[in-house]
Amino acid sequence: MGVGAGEEEVQVSVVQELEGHSDRVWSVAWRPGSGISGRPAMLASCSGDKTVRLWQHGPSPSCFSPSWSCVAVLEEMHKRTVRSCEWSPDGRLLATASFDGTTAIWEDVGGDFECVASLEGHENEVKSVSWNASGTLLATCGRDKSVWIWELQPGNEFECASVLHGHSQDVKMVLWHPSEDILVSASYDNCIKVWIEDSDTEDWTCVQTIDESWGHTSTVWAVSFDSLGRRLVSCSNDLTLKVWDSSSKSFTDGNLWRHLCTISGYHERTIFSVDWSKTTGLIASAAGDDCIRIFSEDSDDKMTPDSGPATYKLLVRKEKAHSTDVNCVRWHLQEASLLASAGDDNTVKVWRVDYRNS
Amino acid sequence: MQEGVVQIQERARAKKLETYPDLKTVDTTPVRVTLHDCLACSGCITSAETVMLEQQSVDEFMKQVSSEDKAVIVSISPQSRASLACYYGITPLQALKKLTTFFKSLGVKAVFDTSCSRDMSLIESCEEFIKMYKAQGKTNCFPLLASSCPGWVCYAEKTLDPYILPHISSVKSPQQTMGAIIKRFASFNMGLRVDQIHHVTVMPCYDKKLEASRDDFLFSIEEGNEEAGAGKFTEVDCVLTSGEMLELLQAKCSDFTLLDESPIDRMLTNVDETGHLYGSRGGSGGYAECIFRHAARELFNKELPSHLEFRTLRNSDFKELTLEVEGEVVLRFACCYGFRNIQNLVRKVKSGKCQYQFVEIMACPSGCLNGGGQIKPKKGQSGKDLIQSLETAYLNEVDVSDPFENPIIKGLYDFWLGYPGSEKSIQIMHTGYHTRERSVTAQLSNW
Repeated sequence: MGVGAGEEEVQVSVVQELEGHSDRVWSVAWRPGSGISGRPAMLASCSGDKTVRLWQHGPSPSCFSPSWSCVAVLEEMHKRTVRSCEWSPDGRLLATASFDGTTAIWEDVGGDFECVASLEGHENEVKSVSWNASGTLLATCGRDKSVWIWELQPGNEFECASVLHGHSQDVKMVLWHPSEDILVSASYDNCIKVWIEDSDTEDWTCVQTIDESWGHTSTVWAVSFDSLGRRLVSCSNDLTLKVWDSSSKSFTDGNLWRHLCTISGYHERTIFSVDWSKTTGLIASAAGDDCIRIFSEDSDDKMTPDSGPATYKLLVRKEKAHSTDVNCVRWHLQEASLLASAGDDNTVKVWRVDYRNS
Repeated sequence: MQEGVVQIQERARAKKLETYPDLKTVDTTPVRVTLHDCLACSGCITSAETVMLEQQSVDEFMKQVSSEDKAVIVSISPQSRASLACYYGITPLQALKKLTTFFKSLGVKAVFDTSCSRDMSLIESCEEFIKMYKAQGKTNCFPLLASSCPGWVCYAEKTLDPYILPHISSVKSPQQTMGAIIKRFASFNMGLRVDQIHHVTVMPCYDKKLEASRDDFLFSIEEGNEEAGAGKFTEVDCVLTSGEMLELLQAKCSDFTLLDESPIDRMLTNVDETGHLYGSRGGSGGYAECIFRHAARELFNKELPSHLEFRTLRNSDFKELTLEVEGEVVLRFACCYGFRNIQNLVRKVKSGKCQYQFVEIMACPSGCLNGGGQIKPKKGQSGKDLIQSLETAYLNEVDVSDPFENPIIKGLYDFWLGYPGSEKSIQIMHTGYHTRERSVTAQLSNW
């Protein structure tokens, strides 16, 4: 443990356990623009029970009070597990990816959510969905090893802008860079791939593959960017988190992302989810050992921003965060202390993370 | 809640439904054809298809050529001709003449050109379109979707809802049309029995091998020709890609460019009396343009200029062509190449929002000149550069002609099929499509 370990204190306490799903909960997503400026916080969760539930906080002014309730159940659309749900950056649309091979788009129409589009094309299970920063592009990926990019047209029409083949196995997750149109995908083939649009061919192309030779040695389950998109963290079945750096910002050597460090020795089971807080810079992980862990960059070892390799240290391990596997963990976008998680125990949990860095 | 808890405990350490740790070993066994495998043109991975590919290889070709009982006939596509011409820096005409020399030296009986049979495919397509247009109101089958790309047809049959299949043109591709002409008509003129003929095509595309092996293209001998033998015959016995053709040339002759230029077999080759090649424009067959021109003439009495302006839509692989009469759009055609554009088109057809009457669909981006079986770019050459030189080479010293004016095709109608769209033409030059079962693993729903 780093020198300054004693100076940092982290307490993780459950705000509320949200019950309602009748099967494992795969993923949660905070609604952008909610939970700030007087708008009640809202969270979407999706499950093996084929539904999406929307949870809203209120009427108490503090989002740390246990006054969350389910305000909507989006059902009768997906025929199988809903694996992933993501809000558009403006919070208007919710995209849900399902094992039934479709991705549904839901629009908030005066508080009611209507399914306004269904994107078909994947051959089978869709595993993940992600909106780009401007909300004009949507990426999906799945068991058919492909990554699709869809372009949002007026009238909630979606056009397929690209179908990308490159992974040799099931693609677990796609994620857009927080500000630029750079897409990252993580796969069961142990690789992370980076995709950008090639203006020459008018199509998207893979510009970097982080493979086993310098990356993960088993399934990459998830990735997350830091607030500026300069760093990327990935989590894997190889029981490590890896942090990647792109501050050089150059494609010339073909390697946009460089390996910065590997966080190993903390997880004993598969790490299913990782999320980098956009407010505090803390990294949360969710794993098959029922724990949520929180890491921070070990700034005490860093004399100047450029000196030596960065290291990350474990701040806290929340035992029995769920009674079984934790599938997803997500920081609130603005409220630094708010964290949500989803588990195989059919529950969603809202957490308060008090972090003092003296 | 007690019940629920028990259930959760049972499942708690069970293998996660989303994870299937043994997939990597499972996946190495050749059982599953994915969409990509189908469309990548080289992805024939089921065991049946592997066997089929062995029958359509350079080795098999050499075996047949040296066989005493077989008369080998080779039909070369204009896209392959362009690919080889580009590679060797010669004209398509030189390439065809040198290929004729090469094949004849191996013992091949005749070398033909599928731009000839393509003219018949185009004429039948024109006829099909006009019939469909006139039947409008009674049945709405628009858009009519081109059928000459086997990658697209295979994808539609395997993956898309059955609703799309009735939209696909029933006209056989130029490859199969050539096979039908050679085995069911020309063979008699050549004094050959159908069972003697081994028909080989040279194509820009691996999926043409799949096309050649479709059961739909098996035929029996008509009455009166029983001496040829009973049983079923294939129209095309072996498909070699442009790349495989190059391998064969490199293995069998020291310098292809030094070969003599033999006279061309004119019976089924688009070459005129002065020795010029002719054919339709368009590296993917020119279906959209040809049918558009014909429809404008037949339906609206409009003769169109020799150059038609396509309007590029979301990318250069999605272009449309419209005809306005008195301010109203009366014809709306499109060319739609590559998988992403096909996706958008299919979605529009499904939702009833497709405005096109005809779409020339090709699975490969940039169309057939960029087929998966074409010769790869040379070192330092970009894919884009290669396609540009192929497009130039394709029509280099080739006269653009009207398929309806092709004297060979006219002769075939006069002496054999009757007229375009005749009962006999429909029987011999058209085909059908079927929904295909997905592979077993693709149907498993419990993963």
